[in-house]
Parts: sequence; C-alpha cells; structure tokens
Amino acid sequence: MLSLTDRNWSPYAAGVVIGLLQIPAFLLVDTALGASSSFVTAGGFVASLVDPAAAQIDYFAKYMSSGKYFWQSALVIGIALGAFLSATMSGSRRASFSPAWTRMTGVSSLWGRMAMGFAGGFVLLLGARIAGGCTSGHGISGMAQLAVGSTVAVVAMFAGGILTAAMFKKV
Amino acid sequence: MSLFWLIVLGLAMGLVFGAALEKSRVMEPGVLVGQFQFRNFTMLKMFLAATITGLVALAVLNGLFGVALHPKAFAVGPVLIGGLILGVGIALAGACPGTALAQAGAGYRDAWAIIAGGVAGAIFYGYAKAPIDAALGWGDFGKITFADLLPLPFWALALIFAALLAAFLFVLERLAPWQEDLAQAETMLGDPACSDGGARPAPAE
Repeated sequence: MLSLTDRNWSPYAAGVVIGLLQIPAFLLVDTALGASSSFVTAGGFVASLVDPAAAQIDYFAKYMSSGKYFWQSALVIGIALGAFLSATMSGSRRASFSPAWTRMTGVSSLWGRMAMGFAGGFVLLLGARIAGGCTSGHGISGMAQLAVGSTVAVVAMFAGGILTAAMFKKV
Repeated sequence: MSLFWLIVLGLAMGLVFGAALEKSRVMEPGVLVGQFQFRNFTMLKMFLAATITGLVALAVLNGLFGVALHPKAFAVGPVLIGGLILGVGIALAGACPGTALAQAGAGYRDAWAIIAGGVAGAIFYGYAKAPIDAALGWGDFGKITFADLLPLPFWALALIFAALLAAFLFVLERLAPWQEDLAQAETMLGDPACSDGGARPAPAE
C-alpha cells in the first residue's frame, strides 16, 4: 500500500494515483485536472490590488468568478501542502534550491537561481496561457481525452524543453 | 456543489497530487530537466501512467455513463507557439505550473520565485491578450478529438491508445529501469549542498 511515510513511490504508482484524480474532477467538478488557470485567478486578484479596473477585464473576470477556478486554486494549494506533508513525513525536506542547478547551469547563489526561476515562471505561464493549458491540462488531461490540440501542444512543449535543456550541462 | 465543498475537494485532491509529485521525485528540477536531456525518464513514465489511467477512467465514465468530456480546442498557432514557449519555461523553471507548488511545499525556496514569475506572466497575458491573440490566433479547428476524426467511439479509441502507450512504457522500462533513475534523483538529494541554506562550492569547470 502507498503511504505518506514511504520515501518513494514508483513513477507508475504516482502516475496511476494522479490519473485516478480525473474521476472526482469529472464527476464532482465537471472539469478535467489542470493547474495553470489558477495562476490567472491569483493574477487577477493581485492585479486588482494596484489596478481596480483589472477585475473588469473579461479574461481576469472569468477566472475570478467561477467555482471551477476556485476549486483549481485550492487544488494547487493542496499540491504544496501534499508535497510538504510527504517530504516532512519521509524525512526528505529540501532546502534552498536543488544542487542539480549548480551542476547544470553553474548558478551557485540562491538569488541567482531565484532570478532564473522568476524568468522561467514568467515564460512558463505566458506559454501556458497562450496554449490554453499546461502539462496537466493539455498533457495529462488533454491526451486522456484524445484531444488533437493537446497532443500537438505536448509535442511542442517537449520540443521547447529539449531545445532549452540542450544548452544546460548534463549531470 | 457549493463553493465551500469545491475548495475542500480541491485541497483534498491537491494533497494526493502533491504527495505523488514528491514521492516520485518528478518535481525535482534535475529529474524534470533530465527528461529533456534524455538521461532520466521518471517524468515521461509518470506522465504516461497518468495519461493511461485517465484514458481508461474516461473510457468507462464516458462510454458507460455518458459523462461529458472537456477537450481543449485545437488552434494551431496558440497551441504550437504557446507549447514551445511553455517548454522553454519548464526547462528554465525546472517546473510546470503544478510542480512549482510541490517544490515550494517540499522546501525549495527558489520555487517561490517561479510562482511569483508565473503570476506575473499570467497578469502580463491578461493585459496583452488582444495583441497576442491577433498575432497568434490562426488555424482554429475547434474542440476536436481523434475520436471525431476516426470511425470509432471515444471509449474504444481511448482503450486502444491506452494499450499502445502501455506497450511503449513496457519497452521503455526494459531499456531504462525506474529504480536507476530514482537512484540518480536520490544522489542529488543526498548532496550536502542540498541542506546548506544556499552556500555551495563553486561549480567545477
């Protein structure tokens, strides 16, 4: 049986567990698993703090008013809590940033890595919002629905990732 | 379902999702980027196992119980260009939008910068949507699935596709056992630099 105190689960067990989450998503929320829309919900509220007109922009308004997007925002907060519990209960809490970064890119300070991470996060969500979904929405959910667009998106995603990672050192 | 229960459900589902991302080490930057460098196949294995499970689950839900599907549209420009940009972002961030949260939960402090950058990227898109859509919004085929293109019902095609992906995973596992990839991820965690609060030796050149 899978337990939170296990140090590891196989990628197959983890994948089956995540795939099974489609069942409550479709039956109870009438939607597919996804993650990147929640960044628009968060972005809409953050933008409203400095620009009261932001909530009137249709794109933000859509993601700030529907229960489906509050469900997804709760989902991504739950992801952080789940990873926290999992790491804490198995004695594998991380600190600072992954040493893999130093080996792959030479970045050696937390601030340097945070600058790279901020830029990466910006590009990540810009791409996800243009494509209309991320690795969860287009990837896991889109391919499970045999969506043509999602399959093309996944191929493009891998192409972009492979080209970029080719510039990093292999560790 | 009321908003309260939607949020409770989302949190509960997220707990499971986050634990799976942490336990499988898919959320490790070295593992995610390692997939793009073809030296660690954990991400592809988890991704395809989740896809296969989803295909079987949806074949039953849709085929037997008529539960509605929600495929996204196939708009060539946005999907191709957006997908490419997203891939560049995954490599630079070492995370997808969901795994960035898992990294933060597991303790990586740079993940908060990824999340902040992500919210900034979503805000930028919200304000710049009109010109971006005008430039990229070509080739919209609507919400088509392969089941619309082929003379088979969704459930049958989903089961066939699931079987093909499972066969691919079977071969992949023979070529690259998951335990070896996991051991590689664990050595990165065991690195003393992992728990030193940011100070680490200069990279060997």
